[in-house]
Amino acid sequence: MAAIQTSSPPATGRAADRPIIRRKRTFRQRLRHDWPLLLMSIPALAQLAVFFYWPSSWNIIAFMDYSPYNSFWENPFVGFAWFERLFSDPYFVPALLNTLKFAALNLAFLFPLSIALALIMHSVVSTKIRSVFQSIVYLPYFFSWVLVVTIFVQVLGADGLISNWLLGFGGERLDIMSDPSTFTFLAWLQWAWKDAGWGMIIFLAALASINPSLYEAAAVDGAGRWKRLWHITLPGIRPVIVLLLILHIGNILSVGFEQYQLQREAVGYQTTEVLDTFVYYRAIQTAQYSFGTAAGLFKGVIGLVLILVANNVAHRLGEQGIYQKS
Amino acid sequence: MRRRSLFKVAGIGALGATGIPVIAACSDIKSGEGTAQTTEGFDFLPTYKEYELPVQPDLVGEPPNHPSGFTSYPTPVDGVETAAEGGEYEVTVAMWGTPPAADDPYYEALSEAWGGTKIKLRHADGNTFAQTSVQWLQANEFGDAINMFGWMTDSHPNFQETVVNTFYDLTEVVKGDISDRWPLLAGEPTASWGQSVWSTDPADPETARVFGVPQNFSKGPGNGIFVRTDLLEAANLAMPTTVEEVLDVARAWSDGAAGKWAFLGLDYVTPEWFGLASSPGWAYIDGKLVHNSERPEYTEWLEFRRTCWDEGLIHPDTPTGTLDGHALHVAGTILMSQDGISWWGDFTNQVNTGTATGSIDPIGAIGAQGREPIRYVNKAAEGWTFFNKDLSEDQVKELLDVMNFCSAPYGTKEYELLNYGVEGTHFTYGDDGIPVYTEAGTATVQAPVNLKTASGQVEVFLTGDPDLVQRRFEYNASVKDFAEADPFKGLRVEGPADYKTAAQTLIDQQNDIAYGRAELSTIPDMVQTFLDSGGEAARELFTSAYNQAQGK
Repeated sequence: MAAIQTSSPPATGRAADRPIIRRKRTFRQRLRHDWPLLLMSIPALAQLAVFFYWPSSWNIIAFMDYSPYNSFWENPFVGFAWFERLFSDPYFVPALLNTLKFAALNLAFLFPLSIALALIMHSVVSTKIRSVFQSIVYLPYFFSWVLVVTIFVQVLGADGLISNWLLGFGGERLDIMSDPSTFTFLAWLQWAWKDAGWGMIIFLAALASINPSLYEAAAVDGAGRWKRLWHITLPGIRPVIVLLLILHIGNILSVGFEQYQLQREAVGYQTTEVLDTFVYYRAIQTAQYSFGTAAGLFKGVIGLVLILVANNVAHRLGEQGIYQKS
Repeated sequence: MRRRSLFKVAGIGALGATGIPVIAACSDIKSGEGTAQTTEGFDFLPTYKEYELPVQPDLVGEPPNHPSGFTSYPTPVDGVETAAEGGEYEVTVAMWGTPPAADDPYYEALSEAWGGTKIKLRHADGNTFAQTSVQWLQANEFGDAINMFGWMTDSHPNFQETVVNTFYDLTEVVKGDISDRWPLLAGEPTASWGQSVWSTDPADPETARVFGVPQNFSKGPGNGIFVRTDLLEAANLAMPTTVEEVLDVARAWSDGAAGKWAFLGLDYVTPEWFGLASSPGWAYIDGKLVHNSERPEYTEWLEFRRTCWDEGLIHPDTPTGTLDGHALHVAGTILMSQDGISWWGDFTNQVNTGTATGSIDPIGAIGAQGREPIRYVNKAAEGWTFFNKDLSEDQVKELLDVMNFCSAPYGTKEYELLNYGVEGTHFTYGDDGIPVYTEAGTATVQAPVNLKTASGQVEVFLTGDPDLVQRRFEYNASVKDFAEADPFKGLRVEGPADYKTAAQTLIDQQNDIAYGRAELSTIPDMVQTFLDSGGEAARELFTSAYNQAQGK
């Protein structure tokens, strides 16, 4: 058996006594040292520059009376006129409130559903049943909203499968698809069917990274199923839950477009108008690109503030969040 | 750099960026104010020269609202000599259904017939064409030319600006006598060419130019409420002749428990039953231009729609907008279907080919409560083919050669090739001598849009199934006297952006009332909101356009 080294190697001469002074390296030295890393990051930076920073710089048209046919500097600057119009638009506040409502519901009722699904899936031992169940649950994510809404009409519509089945038993036709008062529930059903399975996948990956010996040790110590869930599983995936939660919060004003636009006529614009449909109907359709950009910028700024706040709260609670202070 | 300092830098940058507009914030928003464009009285259009028709129609109507028709198929003759050669061009067209293969012999035969020019069609989904074309045009991504229907331009905010900045100015090429090189284009109605004019500055008549090649100038009804007459007969009901009778028939026929409803959509044809104006919805009444929503008939119309909904006469899933109206009409789930006039021919074709049974006819000109009926009719050329402004003059002339070929009227070999394809491959002659599509022909040539609509024919006729031609001819004769007069004749008016936004809200609110989500008592409020948020300002534009159109 090899001898176990228990002490540090002997200090050589005076060097060990000398305090370590990190000399600041010159730019040239750093470049010589780091050039392979810089080279490797160029494609990502180029991609960001072309598809993110360059388009983002066009946000400036929110302060212009912009027409795509004028050369850029010929478009007059109008200050915050578009923002003034945005905040005084009688349809803006209801759209914002609807957006917040759907976002909050999504966060409160869909996010936990994905975690619950992941936990159930994780507890299924048979790999065959697991892969079948997994496919069934996340396949609808790949359906377009047009298809999802059409399927819902075919099943839950007044002339749909269930209605006709109910009629056969002497019942009444369902009125879910065109009743504004049940739309929130309907929207949740649609999210649950379409998105919950997809949301589950990241949690499943996080669950797989928990060391199985922790469960074994807990079982030996007499922890039951619920105790293991509470003391091992949930703490194990907590960083991922917090990370996703923060990212969700940053996107809170982007609740999607198609789902609401497609069902606008069915349940009315008051129920379905969210910020994205507001921009489409009030800015894009009338070619008021500056107005639409102003609304988009507003969304972006709110999203940034929310992310910073949520990240800060996460740090205070001792979590990593999406980035760490250096 | 620490992240915190990065944010500081970003913050300063953002402040800097927003600082510029703060300093410069002194002008008001000017864009989207609306335009009124004259479409007649120009001296730079092609000089009209009548093109002598190779055969005369046997049913002679009174064009344009009552077109003439053929109940038999004449032996086709050569219509025009064409020598378009050299280039290869990509033309964007709308397509409803499955696009045919690009190497179909149809395209090869056409190319050979007009001299060798190759036209490659870039098919885009017809259902979304109107909206998506807004972006392609502004990004100059439509190939060498684009074929657009007039109704599509409604989805284009400020189409005038798009036209003058994106398309080739044809004025110098088509001005004056062009009958030598393009006799068929010279034979198109002057009104068609006038409607192909846009001005760089609509306020300045001197800047007007020709930007498009017009499609057919066929007037007459463009849509209607089609009734399954076979189902009416089976239920011992008669074709309704008044709005009250429409309701009676609908009540007698609808049976929700059995999955039978009288109606699906009721939004764009039924306003005529109450005397309301067609799009853009303004009428001159008692010395003033009045919007539909301000008239008492508007409330009556919404009452009618609400009654139909409340009494279960409308398919309950109609508001979801996901239903296939054609399939439901063919299946007999729906008795009366609101549709374009082409549904008449399409349904009949389905019956003739055995994929459907029954028969449909449109409701005639009817009025509510004994009012004088009006019938909406097409007001303008159906659409245009526009050329890319980056083409050279020679390329444009070559494409005009092709357009000239596509303008050949019924009774010519050009028309036959363009509309029926190659004999034996795409069609065969039936027992009565009328071409019948083969399966390949149905897939490629009969497809809703291809080069058939590239350029307008010198005169448009009712053609096809003789029985249907006869019925359409008689229908047009019966409604032509009730054709709605266009108060803005000779003008193309585009409302201001605020007005369009307000009108969209009004449509949303109309739907709320029609589908039972809001009460009829909210109408005065919603009309007031519409007027305050853009309607009243638009009245000024439409009034001055009206005065100009009426020569006041």
